[in-house]
Amino acid sequence: MSIEVIIPPFLQRLAGDSISVNVSGGTVRECLEQLIQLYPLLEERIFTARGTLRKGINIFVNGKSAFPRELGKKVKHSDRVYIASIIMGG
Amino acid sequence: MPVNAGRLLRVDLSSRKISTEEIPETVARDFIGGRGYGIKYLYDEQPGGIDPFGEKNRLIFITGPLAGTMAQGVSRWMVCTRSPLTGAFARSVCGADFGAWLKFSGYEVIIVEGKSEKPVYLHLADDKCRILGAQEIWGQNTKETQSWLNNAHGKNTRSACIGPAGEKLVKYAAIVSDRRTAGRCGTGAVMGAKNLKAIAISAQRKSFLADQQEFESLAREQIDIIRNNPGFKNHKEWGTTSTQDITNEIGIFPVKNFRYGQLENYKKILGAEYRKLRTGDMGCYSCPARCGKVHTVPSGPYAGAHSEGPEYESIWAFTGPINSHNIEASIAADELCDDLGMDTISAGSSIGFAYELYEKGLLKKSDTDGLELVYGEHTPMVELIKKIGRREGIGDLLAEGSKRAAASIGNGAEIASIQVKGLELPAYEPRGAKSQGYNYATASIGASHCYGYAGQDIFGSPIPHPTDRFSEENADIVIYNQDNSAYKETGVICSFAGGWGWVPGLFGKMLKAARGIDAYADNAYLVKVGERMWNLERAFNIREGFSRKDDSLPARMRTERLHTLRAKGEGQIVSHQEEFLDKYYHLRGWTKDAVPTAEKLEVLGLGFTVKDIGAK
Repeated sequence: MSIEVIIPPFLQRLAGDSISVNVSGGTVRECLEQLIQLYPLLEERIFTARGTLRKGINIFVNGKSAFPRELGKKVKHSDRVYIASIIMGG
Repeated sequence: MPVNAGRLLRVDLSSRKISTEEIPETVARDFIGGRGYGIKYLYDEQPGGIDPFGEKNRLIFITGPLAGTMAQGVSRWMVCTRSPLTGAFARSVCGADFGAWLKFSGYEVIIVEGKSEKPVYLHLADDKCRILGAQEIWGQNTKETQSWLNNAHGKNTRSACIGPAGEKLVKYAAIVSDRRTAGRCGTGAVMGAKNLKAIAISAQRKSFLADQQEFESLAREQIDIIRNNPGFKNHKEWGTTSTQDITNEIGIFPVKNFRYGQLENYKKILGAEYRKLRTGDMGCYSCPARCGKVHTVPSGPYAGAHSEGPEYESIWAFTGPINSHNIEASIAADELCDDLGMDTISAGSSIGFAYELYEKGLLKKSDTDGLELVYGEHTPMVELIKKIGRREGIGDLLAEGSKRAAASIGNGAEIASIQVKGLELPAYEPRGAKSQGYNYATASIGASHCYGYAGQDIFGSPIPHPTDRFSEENADIVIYNQDNSAYKETGVICSFAGGWGWVPGLFGKMLKAARGIDAYADNAYLVKVGERMWNLERAFNIREGFSRKDDSLPARMRTERLHTLRAKGEGQIVSHQEEFLDKYYHLRGWTKDAVPTAEKLEVLGLGFTVKDIGAK
């Protein structure tokens, strides 16, 4: 099983300038945890100390917002997980 | 605490009379400032039906009540007038330092009336305003003009000016300050029609706060909040130069004149690619984000192109509409538009319109001065920008905007004119973000992304509740976004800074400390002011002849299905516009004909408009 996690520009420098990685988790949380195993500096930009998503972070799975309960959302082979930072305007 | 409502400078270019007025406390209480002042003065001072290029059309420059202070992200400024592009209310917002300098000059508002016989500029210094000859700078681009003004008046001078596009009355000409633009709605053309080349202000920092000590304490709190906000950190690093990453990912990046929602091989234009050409950062007065990312092209046909930008909208404007991946061309096009003084969104969209007509055979090589407008070819785009900015050849037609150009061409060209009320759509595809689309349809100025940005659809914001971005039932979200955007624009808050955790809450307290009006501290009051502004803008537009039929997305959105390549949203279409409008008007307290009821107007303190618009 391979899920592509797209690393947005604001996190790429903390991920060795990678644009995406392939992981094998069964849920969004598992995918993000595998991403953080590869790039530990990402943890504090994505998660709070309580393990929830930081305010302003939203997850899209295959182009659709996964809110709410996004971390528990199940993913399957060839899905794309996108990490977005909410901004207004522009 | 004394009330500080601000002062107004009035300049009549016909009679050359200059006067100063105190802004009444009642106006400050009901409209706060910024866009609130803009619509209030415009509505009160000019009747419906006047020529946007005529002497009677007011051109109103406004800075915010918090401008020029240590507070962050609040020193922007705007221009309000009747738009020559749309005929509707116009407001166009800009950054850099000019808003702070306007405040330092002792004024929050400048109302320019009349028309000068010869080119002139205004110079404000030492509490005096002079009307000076501009023959030497007429015809110069915005860079040259500002440089000349700085040489003439010294380094403590900041200016807002037009370029050749404003002088030639390009319907979407911009007003430029430093390298920022008040881009939308053609405010630069109104300035050109008045023969007003620039406003230059020479000033030293001054404070105009009702309660200085309280304000500074609140501003320090604001700075703390902003510096710890993750959104701020992201914005500081990238500005909006990577928004195309997500809009392509979710299929709302308009391509080939809004026929596709994703650019083929869009990885070639990702934020990371623009970063490779980044050579600096620029920002507005008292803003730590410095989100204006400067790009320089090192080699190739566009070698030497150098621009603060393009930011997201301009990245789109010079790639998506013509199906190009050439980021160097987009940098050159952005610089050209800033030099000529033109809105990049309307310019890019009008060019996309021309490319589509060329593909369909409605425009031929003989019509385009020999240019071959073939998708993917960026050289003709750059040539078209030059022609539009100086109204040469085909540029004269495209300078009218796509709505008028389509009417002139006929033969079905109208389907390719992607605008609302005459204002070209920005870079978010309505069929894939329908709350954003319906904001375009109902916004006072036409299709503006900043008049009620639907972050719920685009970034998945859950506030006030999450949306299904393909749903056409979110009239409540559209109204929420519009009224909240409106009250933030009373302070001329930067759209981005408004999302860094200090609004709502602290903003109202800061307004109170700046103005000395207690009511501002209540956020519900601010939202009410936003609603009041929205209704007064609607009344202005009704007086100008606008009605329900003008609250419409372009025909393409309602009759052609979206193609998204590999992104979600394939086949989406807008199919319930009339039902949406019924619901929207009902929630607004308007009739089905899109007119606010007399009761609604009275409740909002806008009873003076009832007779004007025939409200019942």
